[in-house]
Amino acid sequence: MSRNKGEFTVADAYHYNHNGVRRWIFSHILRYRLLFLRSVLLFLIGWSAMAWVRVLIGDAAREITSPSGPDGLMLAALAVLVVSLIDSLAHLGGSLSIETMAQKLAHDSREELYVSLLGKSQTFHDRQRVGDVMARATDDVNQLDFMVHPGIFFIIEIVLGLGLPVVYIAFINPQLILVPLLFILVYIVTVRSYFRRLSPVIGAQRFAFGVMNAGLEETITGIEVVKGSARESFERRKFMRNAKAVRDYLVEQGTIEARYLPYLFYGFALGLSFLHTMILFGEGRLDIGGVVAVTGLVSAMRFPVFISVFAFTLVQLGIAGGERILELIRASADMDENVGGHNDHVQGDLLFENVSFGYDDGMVLQDVSFHVRPGETVAIVGQTGSGKSTLTDLINRTYDVTSGRILIDGVDIRDWQLDAVRSQISRIEQDVFLFSRSVADNIAFGMPGASHERIVEVAREAQAHEFVESFAQGYETEIGERGVMLSGGQRQRLALARAFLSDPRILILDDSTSAIDSATEDDIQHAINRARQGRTTLLITHRLSQIRWADHILVLDEGRLVASGSHEELLRDSELYRRIFARYDVALPLAEPTPQDQGER
Amino acid sequence: MGFIMDGLDAEEYDRQYSDRELVRRILGYFRPEGRRMLLVACALLFTSLLNTGLPIFISQSIDRVAADPSQRNLILALLGTVLLGAFAWVFNALRQWQSATAIGNVTLRLREDAMDAVLRRDLSFYDSIPSGKIVSRVNSDTQAFSAVVTLTTDLMSQFLLVVLLIGYLFTVSPRLTLILLLLAPVIIATALGFRHIARKTITQSRRVQAEVSAHIQETVSGIRIAKTFRQEGSIYQEFLGVNRRSYRINLISGYTFSSIFPLLGLLAGLGTTALVYFGVLDAQAGEISAGTWFLFIQGMQMFWFPLTSIASFWSQFQLGLAAGERVFALIDDEPKVIQRDARILPGIAGEICFEGVDFRYTDKEQVLQDFSLTIQPGETLALVGHTGSGKSSIGKLIARFYEFQGGQIRIDGVDIRELDLHDYHTRLGLVTQTPFLFDGSVRDNIRYGRPDASDGDVERSARMVGHGDWLKALPEGLDTAVGERGSALSMGQRQLVSLARVLLQDPSIFILDEATASVDPLTETLIQEGLDLVLEQRTSIVIAHRLSTIRHADRIIALRNGEIIEEGNHETLLARDGHYAELYNTYFRHQSLEYIEAAGQLLNGVA
Repeated sequence: MSRNKGEFTVADAYHYNHNGVRRWIFSHILRYRLLFLRSVLLFLIGWSAMAWVRVLIGDAAREITSPSGPDGLMLAALAVLVVSLIDSLAHLGGSLSIETMAQKLAHDSREELYVSLLGKSQTFHDRQRVGDVMARATDDVNQLDFMVHPGIFFIIEIVLGLGLPVVYIAFINPQLILVPLLFILVYIVTVRSYFRRLSPVIGAQRFAFGVMNAGLEETITGIEVVKGSARESFERRKFMRNAKAVRDYLVEQGTIEARYLPYLFYGFALGLSFLHTMILFGEGRLDIGGVVAVTGLVSAMRFPVFISVFAFTLVQLGIAGGERILELIRASADMDENVGGHNDHVQGDLLFENVSFGYDDGMVLQDVSFHVRPGETVAIVGQTGSGKSTLTDLINRTYDVTSGRILIDGVDIRDWQLDAVRSQISRIEQDVFLFSRSVADNIAFGMPGASHERIVEVAREAQAHEFVESFAQGYETEIGERGVMLSGGQRQRLALARAFLSDPRILILDDSTSAIDSATEDDIQHAINRARQGRTTLLITHRLSQIRWADHILVLDEGRLVASGSHEELLRDSELYRRIFARYDVALPLAEPTPQDQGER
Repeated sequence: MGFIMDGLDAEEYDRQYSDRELVRRILGYFRPEGRRMLLVACALLFTSLLNTGLPIFISQSIDRVAADPSQRNLILALLGTVLLGAFAWVFNALRQWQSATAIGNVTLRLREDAMDAVLRRDLSFYDSIPSGKIVSRVNSDTQAFSAVVTLTTDLMSQFLLVVLLIGYLFTVSPRLTLILLLLAPVIIATALGFRHIARKTITQSRRVQAEVSAHIQETVSGIRIAKTFRQEGSIYQEFLGVNRRSYRINLISGYTFSSIFPLLGLLAGLGTTALVYFGVLDAQAGEISAGTWFLFIQGMQMFWFPLTSIASFWSQFQLGLAAGERVFALIDDEPKVIQRDARILPGIAGEICFEGVDFRYTDKEQVLQDFSLTIQPGETLALVGHTGSGKSSIGKLIARFYEFQGGQIRIDGVDIRELDLHDYHTRLGLVTQTPFLFDGSVRDNIRYGRPDASDGDVERSARMVGHGDWLKALPEGLDTAVGERGSALSMGQRQLVSLARVLLQDPSIFILDEATASVDPLTETLIQEGLDLVLEQRTSIVIAHRLSTIRHADRIIALRNGEIIEEGNHETLLARDGHYAELYNTYFRHQSLEYIEAAGQLLNGVA
């Protein structure tokens, strides 16, 4: 049993075995061993009854040749009825039990996955595509469910449905099990080779279908460019190539499925065992009842042969799904909560000392050093990929530095309690994420239970109050698919309100929101301005005005700090920085601001 | 158990076909596979005959050997059963193989036609239907259609088997056959009843599945916020509720499906009991032989399973036909943009003339009315106006993406409706508001508009944009993969790639819908430098959002409700203090250096 360490844990969680997917699935099943045993037992009863019915039908056949009176026939028929009833009821009970187990397993594994996801670091989540995680939490969990029911259910049916008839035949005449036993051996060999040929084709076919879908989706989304560049025939060729691949795999799959050998051998087995019973019958060592019972029992073996096609596929898919789930669960959590760490009020003094950060495939930040005093505003400038976001991610320990160190109020952030650092640093993303809840709940996300007055107050400060009030339901308006769609500027101001409520000592603002119009720009300017009052603020910004007026500007290029200082210093020192304003300076004499425009300011 | 999982995804139908028309169309697709389908039909008939023959042969053999257990009769019994089984297998394999091939070919042809139809459409079609739905029509509906063909052949063989068997049994003992047949309606009714319940539980379980998905999606997308505010615990509590609800509903739905087969089995048990009792009575009376009696018992087992699938077949079949209908509707829908001729202009100078053009996207709103405008060759024209002023429509009409209802648009004096559209589009450069990139490398994307360009040409164009300064930010230079729809690149980088693409293509007419997404100041500088280059030597129509663009345009057109209100250059228009000045104050003022400088006073004022 392995214990998960992470940024989030549940106190009394059940522990599963994480060493390999089979053990993991087994440990899940083991949790409900009684349920499992009960269903196996019920199936055993069910299949015994089913086989027994064939024997009883044999008994009835004896009534034809040597009648034991009207009561005898009635009793035989009644026995068939009662045992059939037992068969159906036992099967029903077994099915319900195993279904319950399947649903519990799906429920538990999803919860296990979910908890582990909450505990993972941001590094992990950044590398994972949302769609991929979703697929594992839904589709793969469903595969696990189907693996148990009907997958494992079918496997039990196959084992019992092939095994029990043989046992019953042995009771009638031990010699007669020869052919069925031989058949079972051949069956195992042929089924295995069948699946060995089929599964790669099915996998390839699914993949090809995915490629075809993605390709067409791309063509359609980019149709303006396709048509504008007259590349329809190119896109058509691409699609037909993909569609042809799908067709070829489908035909190949059909060809393999057509040659399902176990059926052929079953036909042989039926003939041979029939011959065997007939020989014994001719020699007088088996009566008509025996012939009917044995032939009936061998006929019953057709069903397990038939369902094998589904059973093994389902189990295979389930194991593959389980593997994908377990892979996520087992991925390391990178950090823990550091409960015993430093805990204090943050003043807002921030020091980077030779900080470098990178992944296996290269460095994102190299040897960055700077110092921000409490209450200062820093603007960070650089092209996409220059490391601006990563730099700010290091401050609230979204990631940990690779080398060097970051100090907040003189204490290395790794020595701070994780909770203490994160709760006093607020970060507003480039793509502001809002939950599908009401506006008020979103603002109060970090402080559930904040009063309505307080929420309105911070919304006012963030210049959000006006547009929130313009909605019919005001602060109770639902956001997202079921509610209103907000513009980037509105989302950003809600995020600012959310941050104001928790009153962080350090605010990191990734501000790339574009204002479509000048009035919105005014609002954003006011909100950001309010945000930087009284706290250390780091702005990754596209706004020249913010850059122009920040206390301190950091210019990043390819992960290095290439220049820093005030606007005037940088205009003097940095070529890169000068180029931005050069365009404006050249254009300056052309721009005649209208007088009333100036008056408004 | 797929037969229960149907009937839930109702979609809008574009048109309805009569059954005859539908069958005619489907047969049309199968015509090239005629010989193959004939083979399938023969194999199907033989398989059913042989499968019916097997239990009959066994029952007769029992009687024969009981009467005369000679070696000859024994060998006959063995050979008969083995050969019947083997040939049934061979014919069945033949059927599956041939029908898989035929269906594969038909599906491919159907997809080809659907794809051609999609590509023929003009943009009004893409505006009205989300891309996912189009993809699903071309790929999934065709698949659903072909699945039904497979299902039909499978069921035909089962149905044939039941009919043949019943037919034979009826000749042997009508009374016992009636007992067997009496059960049929009960089994079918039970199967149908279950389908009804199952449909309800499935709807519920889909709904709860969607709820689970939505919750997890939100958690994963918003995990950073949850972590920042340390709210993992409250999200987890919410998840527990959703997960438990999903468990309960899925359990109910699972129980429904789990009980079908045991219950149907119980009915089969009842039938068997009746056959055992009445059959033995008949046999005792000498009306039937012991072998025949056994045939009835075996027949019962062969009988009930096909019945349950036949009971559920009809709705499955209808769904498949509906899928087919949707595909045909897609294929048959006519594009609205229609060219009257296919003239190829040897070289396009780039004079564009709108004369009395009327245009609307849908019947509701008139976008342009009697609109006239002439754009000179080589001119850079900036279009400004509020949303809905018609500025984007002008660009799209020049690109001939939509049909207009009145007037004329001429390119170098030639009616745009008489041009060869393919040739015309190769002379057209286009950058959309959110630049679209195709999955592949930066190099592939730059080359998209001119597939025959050499690597050197591609590199030259890339270097021309912003002096190539943007290339060093790409981890693998021009070979950097752009990801799905360019997601691996920033918005600014995507714009740079698009500009390089247009530069390489060197079109006579350039249409730019300027991006509104903001870009970091460095990249913005590079984009503007690149743009200057692209605008230089061709007729350019810019739906402008950048102050620097309107400043450098040769002519600005200020639009309102599809009408030209003012035209001229930036300085003269601003001085006029009319509609343009209002637009400037609304959309462009904050981009000026004056505003940036003034913001400082604002900041200091508050501080």
